[in-house]
Amino acid sequence: MEPILCGLETEYGLFVNGKGAEDQIELSKALVRSYPDECFLGWDYSSESPRADLRGFQVEKLQIDPEDAKFDKGKPKSSDSKLRSDRVLNNGARLYNDHGHPEFATPECTSAFACAVLDRAGEHAVRRAATRFEETTGLNASLYKNNTDFHGATYGCHESYLVPRSVGWDSLVEAVLPMLVVRQILTGAGKVGSEGGSDCRFQLSQRADFCETILSADTLFKRPIFNTRDEPHADPNQWMRLHVICGDANMNLATTARKLALTKLAIQLAIARRAPKWSLKTPVAAIQSVSRDESRKFQIELADDSFTTAYEILESYFEAAERQGWLKIMASIDSNVGGDPYLIPFTELQVIPECRVLLEMVREFDPKLKRHVDWAAKLAMLESFVEQTDGKWNGTQLRSFDLEYHNIDPNEGLYSALIESGEVDDTLMSNESASKVLNFFPTQCRSEIRSYALHHFREFIESCNWRTITFLVGEKKICVDLPPNWHGTVVGRDFSSVESIIDWIRGLNGN
Amino acid sequence: MEIRIEDRIRREVTPERTEKHGDDTAPKRPDIGQPKPSNPLLDRMKKIDPDQAKKYRQRSGE
Repeated sequence: MEPILCGLETEYGLFVNGKGAEDQIELSKALVRSYPDECFLGWDYSSESPRADLRGFQVEKLQIDPEDAKFDKGKPKSSDSKLRSDRVLNNGARLYNDHGHPEFATPECTSAFACAVLDRAGEHAVRRAATRFEETTGLNASLYKNNTDFHGATYGCHESYLVPRSVGWDSLVEAVLPMLVVRQILTGAGKVGSEGGSDCRFQLSQRADFCETILSADTLFKRPIFNTRDEPHADPNQWMRLHVICGDANMNLATTARKLALTKLAIQLAIARRAPKWSLKTPVAAIQSVSRDESRKFQIELADDSFTTAYEILESYFEAAERQGWLKIMASIDSNVGGDPYLIPFTELQVIPECRVLLEMVREFDPKLKRHVDWAAKLAMLESFVEQTDGKWNGTQLRSFDLEYHNIDPNEGLYSALIESGEVDDTLMSNESASKVLNFFPTQCRSEIRSYALHHFREFIESCNWRTITFLVGEKKICVDLPPNWHGTVVGRDFSSVESIIDWIRGLNGN
Repeated sequence: MEIRIEDRIRREVTPERTEKHGDDTAPKRPDIGQPKPSNPLLDRMKKIDPDQAKKYRQRSGE
């Protein structure tokens, strides 16, 4: 069993008083460029291949949203680097403009908890950029870590998992798809109402309404559960990237970690060829029906016309892990690192006992669920407001509260107010936590090398991306691969020169 | 540190005075009711523009 590298990319909603969606690209660019802290400019786009499809073909053209196309009509196209305005942060993360949304991509890491903390670092980074943007422009910017504008426009929180290509794409999808349909009962961010399909009062997921198909290379229109872009950010002969784009952006840090850990559990079982076999009749419809099921029965129709439930599917993954003896392995790893969750690479196993307790809470609709799961916290907040005011479920006003739950300013956001009120268990959200979280960097994986090199040899770096660093030594460009399956550390090493770190990285690759 | 109920400091409760001095015409404190504890969450919710979500329009992202 090997640790799985994972990362999160979160697109933020951006609202600037007096401005509209047609201004959003320029505003997002300006906001990203306002990032006030030390960062590196020089993202290398050479390994991007958006039209290569994991199913073995090239897509002729990627679709764009027809509404957005209207905003861009007649506007000149600028280069990738100008448009995206990439910043590589000291922790190895990437901050950039993506289609008018400030986007923070965490550095890749093996621990789901570490990834969730880095995702929180993204909130602080984007907010620091917004503060400087406001100071220099005089405009007022609000940033929302959510997935919808409630008018049919969505933006994503994408997950990437690096998986050995030998697992096989079809086997991987078959093993992970049922998990993605059901994990929302423990990971959904919650949403007032629906955008498409039948009406509902409240649903578990922000993103479910926008899933239209299982597999596609498209991300801007007719969105899939899995994006099939073949862009592993590692040697494509050995690795593939599972790119999940149906998940919600979570405010609750533990919910973020759980979302990643549950998906990694399904991937580990796929690698071991021990994933539970479920054949769902209509997976896309099931994502939507589970999301809207306020009865919490979460029934799902199978291909043979029988029914199961989200509870049974989740439990089947946990039992499969138990049958592998993985929980015993977990206990021994846990004692080796003194229980430090950030040093445990196999958080996919660590979350199983917690998830079993939470599932019982979901069944019973235990009020304590709100302390641990975003959708439950949001729903409890809305119901409490309705109860304390006129007793009416006013969708328009409650959608405004839904939106403000995701406002990342601790002085304005309702999620922050829930923490202050002691209604939710979370840390590292306050202004005081910002520097602590922004100085956190991943360990025991390749992004630690990127972060170290940026810190110590920045003046020799010409460009970098997830896979490589290109050093400029004298007149000579030297590009080195960061090995994805390296789990050592640079802590305690002392590289006397840029040549010495280049040689060391080459050695890790067996060169 | 965990604080248990039995560890808490016990204080003697002073019994309320029941004897009356003078007549009932003396000035009394106005009855302003119990002060309501502030609820930071509710306070923040009440400040939010109820139409904020209506005004919020975004480009589609990925």
